[in-house]
Amino acid sequence: MLLQLNNIFKWVNSGGQRVFLLKDINLTVEEGEFISVMGPSGSGKSTLLNVIGMLDNFDEGKYCFMDEPVHTLKEKHRANLYKQYIGFVFQSYHLLDDLTVQENLEMPLLYKKVRNSERKSLVADTLDRFNLVGKKDLFPTQLSGGQQQLVGVARALISSPKLILADEPTGNLNSKQGEEIMELFKQLNEDGVTIIQVTHSEKNATFGSRIINLLDGRKL
Amino acid sequence: MFKNYLKIAWRNLWNNKGYTAINVGGLAMGMAVTLIIGLWIQDELSHNNYFSKKEKIAQVFQSQTFNGNTSTGPAIPRPLEKALRDGYADNFKHLVMSSWNISRYLKYKGKSISQTGNFMQREAPEMLNLKILKGEKDGLRELNSVMLSESVAHALFGAEEPIGKTLQVNNQYDVMVTAVYEDIPFNNSFHDAEFLMSWDKMIATQEWMKNAEDQWGNNSFQMFVEITNNTTMDRVTKAILNVKKNLNEDTAEYNPQIFLFPMKDWYLRGNFENGKQSGGRIKYVWLFGIIGVFVLLLACINFMNLSTARSEKRAKEVGIRKSIGSRRNQLINQFLSESFIVVLFAFVVAIVIVLLCLNGFNDLSKKEISFPWENGIFWLSSLVFIVFTALVSGSYPALYLSSFKPVDVLKGTFKAGKYAGLPRKILVVLQFTVSVAFIIGTIIVMQQINHAKNRPIGYNKEGLIQIPTFSQDFEGKYDLMRSEFLSTNAVIEMSASSSPTTEIWSNRSGFDWEGKPEGFQEDLAWTDVTPEYAKSLGMKIVEGRDFSREFASDSNAVLLNRTAVKYMGIKDPVGKFLRDDNDDGGEPPLKIIGVVEDMITQSPYEPVKQGIYVFDKHGNSSFYNLRLNPNQSASQNIAIIEGVFKEHFPDLPFEYDFVDSEYGAKFASEERIGTLSGIFTALAILISCLGLFGLTSFVAEQRTKEIGVRKVLGATVFNVWGMLSKDFLKLVIISCFIAIPIAYYVMNGWLQDYPYHMLLEWWIFALAVFGAMMVTVITVSFQAIKAANSNPVKSLRTE
Repeated sequence: MLLQLNNIFKWVNSGGQRVFLLKDINLTVEEGEFISVMGPSGSGKSTLLNVIGMLDNFDEGKYCFMDEPVHTLKEKHRANLYKQYIGFVFQSYHLLDDLTVQENLEMPLLYKKVRNSERKSLVADTLDRFNLVGKKDLFPTQLSGGQQQLVGVARALISSPKLILADEPTGNLNSKQGEEIMELFKQLNEDGVTIIQVTHSEKNATFGSRIINLLDGRKL
Repeated sequence: MFKNYLKIAWRNLWNNKGYTAINVGGLAMGMAVTLIIGLWIQDELSHNNYFSKKEKIAQVFQSQTFNGNTSTGPAIPRPLEKALRDGYADNFKHLVMSSWNISRYLKYKGKSISQTGNFMQREAPEMLNLKILKGEKDGLRELNSVMLSESVAHALFGAEEPIGKTLQVNNQYDVMVTAVYEDIPFNNSFHDAEFLMSWDKMIATQEWMKNAEDQWGNNSFQMFVEITNNTTMDRVTKAILNVKKNLNEDTAEYNPQIFLFPMKDWYLRGNFENGKQSGGRIKYVWLFGIIGVFVLLLACINFMNLSTARSEKRAKEVGIRKSIGSRRNQLINQFLSESFIVVLFAFVVAIVIVLLCLNGFNDLSKKEISFPWENGIFWLSSLVFIVFTALVSGSYPALYLSSFKPVDVLKGTFKAGKYAGLPRKILVVLQFTVSVAFIIGTIIVMQQINHAKNRPIGYNKEGLIQIPTFSQDFEGKYDLMRSEFLSTNAVIEMSASSSPTTEIWSNRSGFDWEGKPEGFQEDLAWTDVTPEYAKSLGMKIVEGRDFSREFASDSNAVLLNRTAVKYMGIKDPVGKFLRDDNDDGGEPPLKIIGVVEDMITQSPYEPVKQGIYVFDKHGNSSFYNLRLNPNQSASQNIAIIEGVFKEHFPDLPFEYDFVDSEYGAKFASEERIGTLSGIFTALAILISCLGLFGLTSFVAEQRTKEIGVRKVLGATVFNVWGMLSKDFLKLVIISCFIAIPIAYYVMNGWLQDYPYHMLLEWWIFALAVFGAMMVTVITVSFQAIKAANSNPVKSLRTE
């Protein structure tokens, strides 16, 4: 078992009323799964992903990640945890515009204080693996959307996470680029990486091994 | 990691050139001001550092009390030397009597130059540790010797060997050059001592000095000492405090207090008030130090404001970095390195600015500051300065930006909260408070100078020159020279006097007159004058009459000034007599024949001192006062006068001063402060405006959509401009309310230092407020009008 959510609630207070973003979510994810989270806009998909990624807090419930009770951890421990085990892929790539492809890839390793020689070889391997060697000195704005997302995925993978969280990774891409990214995910999943993706697309959802449907913060 | 920080910082700055320019430019300006002020303060503090025994050297000062007013000064009587040598010798390593810095004609092979220097006792070069370039340090051993500064030696001898050569002094006596010493640098006492001659020689050549040997009341000399290593200034002062009082009964009633005034205090703490040391230039060191810190603070505030205003742009980056594993302190480090780079860059620019401005600044501040390239301490303190500035300006943005939560900013819903702008507003208020206070301060300094300049001075200083007549050659020539000068059409009136028009050289007491209050201890400014004095200066006789050559009895006549009449309490002074107790009774009493208008001779900020003008029957004159012909140009007049002068004194250099410029020099110190504070104020405002300019551009950018919507709904350009300007104007008005009481308090205190000072009027403050508001409106308008003119379709489409 990689992670387990028990009775997770998240809400905001708006005009004296409590609006639930997540309502009583229970979810167990095993290692090696490829889960697609689906649902209409505002159903809580991204919120769920952020909670799992520990970027966002929840108000009630228990969350265990690799047997660590996340809900009791301090901010700093939590950051250490996701830094080590989780990689993020975003819809709008969120690459650092001032850094080249190579430097973007290097960034997470710098934050993990990986030694220089090791860093260099990891970056070189990754560039090689994602066929980005020729683009390593370009800046994100000089790349197409698909290429940028490729860098985004590569960056998420470089520190060998156990879990990849992808929030509509193909949302800004055309269908061909999107398909390539999904193929890549499938490949990664087969190599043993656990993936949770949020998607609107039925077709993309079929790449996964399991689909979770959300509506108004509830799991259906 | 650090390399990475620097790289990102560099690219970030490069990609936002406008922002970087404002930031670096503002900071560089602020740092340049701080650096220049720092160099100035360093120069002020290093005064007299040329003298290696600075800590041990002192001048002997004297305080005396007349009618409850204690006045303090360096003038001491000659017998004090013997008293100290006899009774207190073990306190002093060296004890040196000295003349004032006086002017002498030095002649060698027909070449005559006029130089200032001191007549001092033999140990002076040793005490001051002069750097001897040629000859011997003990150069004042012989009576007829002279030591010359390097530049004077060069002026007189050129490439010739000066040592052993004979000079003629004032066409009176010969001295031999025994040594050449290095010029004493500008920011040191004695820097105008271009020659040193023997004290004993001066005594030998001047009758009045011989007579002064046992006159305790004749305070006309200086004494410098170096104390021994095993004692302190305070201990010596305690020992010698009452030495004069105990030894001399006649002057004891003035309670003479003899004390040591340490060399380290000469320059910065030279003011005395009622016998107590009361600061001096040190207050300007503090003042400019504070200005420097504030200007730098203004520049740092710009940096903070612009960085945080850009926060929405940087928010995304913070979010990404946090989501890929950055810790908060790593982000703080990153932002701090960024500010470090900006500050470093600004420092380089500041150095360039300082190098470009240093000459101009030296002219303004009358300094000779050079850039301390080789001074390790300077670079070390610069490093501290850079780090400090980087921390001050970078810490707030670093803490603020790094606090963003990734989930908020990555969702794209990040909006700085309602109060996010509050610290920024507070900082703008702080900036403008400082600027407005500076504006008020500068206006008041300028006004005070004008106020003093417009004060009636009691005579006509325009078209008046004075020629020093110290040389023996002038003796007995006054009547001849007067008729010679008047026979030309260049001079319409002429007189001679014992002191220059703009100074008091002699003060006397010991008079008696009808109705003098019991125990009254008078202190009168004394000037010996020829009969035409009042006429030549254009002084107004308010009572009685002027001197006249018609009446032989006028040789015992005096004029009083208005203040003296009031001071002495004489009713109907004209025709009354004054007896001089200093005489043995051989001289007839002095008859008051008239009263003249008060004439400003000392500080234009002080009340005029009670003065007495005495018919000069002994030929004590030191200056000719010439009233030039107003109908032709000054240069024509001077050329004619010089011709006459050279005819009679071919050996003497023709020297003269315009009285109006001598008078103007009295304002120099205040004017310098006025000019400098004016410049610093202008820079402070410029820096604040630069920040405001940057800030408005971000606000306008942030509100692009709002502006678009408003325009679609029918807002005019004027509406939008008003909306954007109003916010900033509000802040400036708040600043004014804070600045005015502070400035009022500080400047009122400053004005109290000047007995003759202006009144603080409301319009000064109104002007400052109006000025600040105008500047704000203009600055804000640049951006506001641009934003208001933009096409709403464009701004709404980008949504």
